[in-house]
Amino acid sequence: MSQYRVSGRGRVDTARPVTFTFDGKSYRGAQGDTVASALLANGVHLMGRSFKYHRPRGAIAAGSEEPNALIGTRRGSGRFEPNTRATVQEIWDGLETNSQNKFPSLKFDVGAVNDAAYMLFSAGFYYKTFMWPRSFWDKVYEPFIRAAAGLGVSPIEEDPDTYASRNLHCDVLIVGAGPTGLAAARAAAVEGLRVVLVDENPEAGGTLLSEPQARIDGKAAWDWLAAELEALKALGVKIMTRTTAIAYYHQNMIGLVEKLTDHLPKLPADTPRERLWRVRSKQVVLAQGALEKPLVFHGNDRPGVMLAGSAQTFLNRYGVLVGKRPVILTSHDSAWYAAFDLQDAGAKVQAIVDTRADVDALLQSEARARGIAVKLSHTATATSGRLRVSSLRINPVAGGTVGAAQDIRCDAVLMSGGWTPSLHLFSHTKGSLTWDDDRTTFLPEKTPEDCVIAGASRGLWGIGAALADGAEKGRAVAEALGKTGAQVAYAIEADRPGTGVSHKELPTDLSAGKAKAFVDFQNDVTAKDLRLAVREGMRSIEHVKRYTTNGMATDQGKMSNINGLNIASDALGKKQPQVGLTTFRPPYTPTSFGAFAGYHRGEHFEVTRKTNIDSWAEAKGAVFEPVGQWRRARYFPKPGEDMDTAVRRECAATRASVGIFDASTLGKIEVVGPDAVEFMNRMYTNPWTKLAPGRCRYGLLLGDDGYIRDDGVIGRMTEDRFHVTTTTGGAARVLNMMEDYLQTEWSDLNVWLTSTTEHWSTVALNGPNAAKLLAPFVEGVELTEEAFPHMSCVECTVAGMPARLFRVSFTGEIGFEVNVPAHLGQKLWDILWEAGQQYGITAYGTETMHVLRAEKGYIIVGQDTDGTVTPYDAGMGWAVGKKKPDFVGMRGLARPDLQAKNRKQLVGLLTEDGSKLEEGAQIVFDPKQAIPMTMVGHVTSSYDVGTTDQPIALALVEGGHGKMGETVYIPMPDRTIAAKITATVFVDPENTRLKI
Amino acid sequence: MTAPISSFMPGVLTASAAARVGFAHRCARFSLRARGDLAPLEAALGLSLPDRIGQRTSAGEREVLCLGPDEWVLHAPESDATAITAACAGVYADHPHSLVDISGREVSFVIDGPRGAELLTLGCARDLDTIAVGEGRRTLFDGATVILWRDADNNFRLDCWTSFATHLFHLLDTGVRELGAENH
Repeated sequence: MSQYRVSGRGRVDTARPVTFTFDGKSYRGAQGDTVASALLANGVHLMGRSFKYHRPRGAIAAGSEEPNALIGTRRGSGRFEPNTRATVQEIWDGLETNSQNKFPSLKFDVGAVNDAAYMLFSAGFYYKTFMWPRSFWDKVYEPFIRAAAGLGVSPIEEDPDTYASRNLHCDVLIVGAGPTGLAAARAAAVEGLRVVLVDENPEAGGTLLSEPQARIDGKAAWDWLAAELEALKALGVKIMTRTTAIAYYHQNMIGLVEKLTDHLPKLPADTPRERLWRVRSKQVVLAQGALEKPLVFHGNDRPGVMLAGSAQTFLNRYGVLVGKRPVILTSHDSAWYAAFDLQDAGAKVQAIVDTRADVDALLQSEARARGIAVKLSHTATATSGRLRVSSLRINPVAGGTVGAAQDIRCDAVLMSGGWTPSLHLFSHTKGSLTWDDDRTTFLPEKTPEDCVIAGASRGLWGIGAALADGAEKGRAVAEALGKTGAQVAYAIEADRPGTGVSHKELPTDLSAGKAKAFVDFQNDVTAKDLRLAVREGMRSIEHVKRYTTNGMATDQGKMSNINGLNIASDALGKKQPQVGLTTFRPPYTPTSFGAFAGYHRGEHFEVTRKTNIDSWAEAKGAVFEPVGQWRRARYFPKPGEDMDTAVRRECAATRASVGIFDASTLGKIEVVGPDAVEFMNRMYTNPWTKLAPGRCRYGLLLGDDGYIRDDGVIGRMTEDRFHVTTTTGGAARVLNMMEDYLQTEWSDLNVWLTSTTEHWSTVALNGPNAAKLLAPFVEGVELTEEAFPHMSCVECTVAGMPARLFRVSFTGEIGFEVNVPAHLGQKLWDILWEAGQQYGITAYGTETMHVLRAEKGYIIVGQDTDGTVTPYDAGMGWAVGKKKPDFVGMRGLARPDLQAKNRKQLVGLLTEDGSKLEEGAQIVFDPKQAIPMTMVGHVTSSYDVGTTDQPIALALVEGGHGKMGETVYIPMPDRTIAAKITATVFVDPENTRLKI
Repeated sequence: MTAPISSFMPGVLTASAAARVGFAHRCARFSLRARGDLAPLEAALGLSLPDRIGQRTSAGEREVLCLGPDEWVLHAPESDATAITAACAGVYADHPHSLVDISGREVSFVIDGPRGAELLTLGCARDLDTIAVGEGRRTLFDGATVILWRDADNNFRLDCWTSFATHLFHLLDTGVRELGAENH
């Protein structure tokens, strides 16, 4: 058995030894140990170096509040995690751990030079030292700060673990499975209530695990606990351990992170490492208990100086004596019991040093009975020892005067500055706090959530008080849910109620200016720093916090907040509530990114929507591009082709014969009802009343502001039924906007909207042979100029499939869009592809579609428009119904600024040197003007791969419509390009090619 | 890359001791919107239209779920589609409504197994206990709109838009294995 392991104590299984390494050295612990308890069992206190001064540090606590003992843990390749708390990480055979923030070794760290230079690193040090010159910040200061001060090293390998998430609904969620939580669960676990009890520890029990001496209802605490957990399970209570309530969000939504595999030697298959639970609970009971405060004195951070309650936990839960000759330093009764427990377990307690003059006589006689020296009205003024405490310097205090010092030899200093109710989650609810002068702490007052707070987290002390309060609160929440909670009462023996006082830094006879009396251990903030911050003008605790970084480390000031506040309020000469408490924010303890990401990583990061024809494109070697959530075939390269070559070929083939294009992603909305036409009139700029069934029209949709938002071809299928198409990316947005108007503004209209985007597969055929190819398959309409002119639509049969056929063109060629039910899309495509071989049919992608439409001057919303372009700017005033009483955006269009003459207007550009312009390039009228030049527009679309004999571009240019034929200039890094303003149509302005 | 939707065949797609996910046969699906007197539509369709959101009724193989105050989704055998369209068209003139074929828009997964309901908690934020057996809801699963039909305690149908199906199945499959690996 290890040197410091106490036989017969603790809940670890010493019969099952576990071997792990720390800084390369192998250690043996027991099943159930944490890294910290196992190292302590081996007499190892030194576990890390501090953040700023690189001071040697050991575990100060036994739980998740631990600020010092941060280690790296490794499980083979890729599985490395920095900043893991040694007091939380359970050991398993083969676990590799290492200390952090040290070079070259933990015992000899050259960074500790910072400790000698501590005078330089005082409060506001970063602000003062690294203020100027500004240019030094990026290259000198920040890298220096990051290298010098810091915790663990970020992992660089991809995390091979998986993370999960689930939703959970319950009636009562209880956070904390100590006596309070257990009693609350028992009271609330009545028929019809779903009760969930969570605890961050590997096992439920809380304080009971550290206080086995207590007896509840005649049973030893641990026996009672085991039976109670079984009873709760039998009542249907869901008990979750290794599960931290990290955050309390609005309306009783609580985030839990459950750790599933970090404690296992072998990773089970299909099991995530962590799971984020999104819990919605009707009622919440917060029973998080209280956290012990350190005392603030010079040298209070030396390894071996620990919280007394944590020493008691290490002994009773893990069977580990943290020292064989400990000295107790306390201002609270609880540490006396820790002393008794350690003494009874074989340690020689050197003394109990209490800052108070009056201490319960019973405690004093208990101490005397054990032969423990008692020193009342004493302060502690220093510790000594290099990597481990070897003595504590104490002085009597009488009438405010610090007397002569005395050194007590020891191997551990167990301190208690009292207990701070854990108000973290309560604070997340925006709960108000009230200052309790007697207990020198904040207590919970009111919360806007359906939440109660119970036990030690509202300032109660002792197992009996906790059980009683838990039971009462459990009944209260059951009652709030309309149930009668169970009546439970507990008979407690050997309880340890007690009181204490809270301090600022302890009085000293040494120079306070040189004292390294730590308040925030993780951020290396001392009492002196806090007083300096006040001297330098900080008044609010929020400013003091930011100036000194007190409470800003990953432990969020779990230990330091109240001590820091006591000191700051003393320095300011104000009461604590006037100075204020900083706000706790989620998460309660450090949480992995993986837990937040959950399933959404790798290929599941975000949905990739694919059409029914996508796999054909993939098989043909298409290159894809994302368009919104969709992936679309961008071009279909033949072997050896780059994009330009492929697109040039696809464009030429389409203009020469026939091209086939998957347009399925186009948004589609079915507008049906007697008021469908009126709805269309109000929604779109165009007039719809005179559009006959069987005909379609290009529709332009504006926002209230008068700017173009979307467009698409809209077919009137019957009198009361429109088939609306939208842009691919705009589909959901447009439907939302329409529903918004319909439901909030136009409830008078009898019309309904249904998204049919995915009902249809849409195959577009374009080119002089499009009609010839398609006609043989179409039943119900003849594809002639007379029977089915351009901008017609019809329900018919294509290749035996029910179809909606549109004669439209986004290329300037004869064009059709065949819509068939989505699952038939691939079949239709195959038939047309096969039959199209005689015409040399060519599949084209979005890039060719873009080029062909640009040659015709058809805009793409979002490319040629940017949310500030009106229909008139885009040269599409023809699409605005002048006689309509109203439409969305009509009022916006009437604003003077939107009617101004010199607005940026869409024009064509042809460069003088025949070069291709860069999309986004800025345009100027006079290239010789001084820099910065006046920019008058920009290039919106530019291509040199189409069927025109020189590159073409579209651009927005100030007053462009009135500048046809004029020259503008596009300054580029290496030269300035001159371009002539033209109309936007570059191919077939007379539209002769549209005719069959 | 996830498998294309076309590779899903009706039948069980993934299974563990905890749960099972299958792919349903294709059926006719309609979105029906109507207000006012529903009797003529009910007569035309041969079933009553439930007036509470989440309620279902059926007649023969026609099955309808109320999704909103004036909205229902109707499932039927594919062969029944023409008859449904014709029946509704017959009453349109006097009782205007919107019947839109959405058969191609959606596919359905069938979820069952002892922990089928729990499987849905991976992606659905709703309290599934509030969906009674024999009811249904439009809700979200992993960020996508879905319709859940609860056919038994642990037996659901999940309708989703086709292009979301492979993404949603990826999570369902992960969940089937994850739940299957748990010791319950």
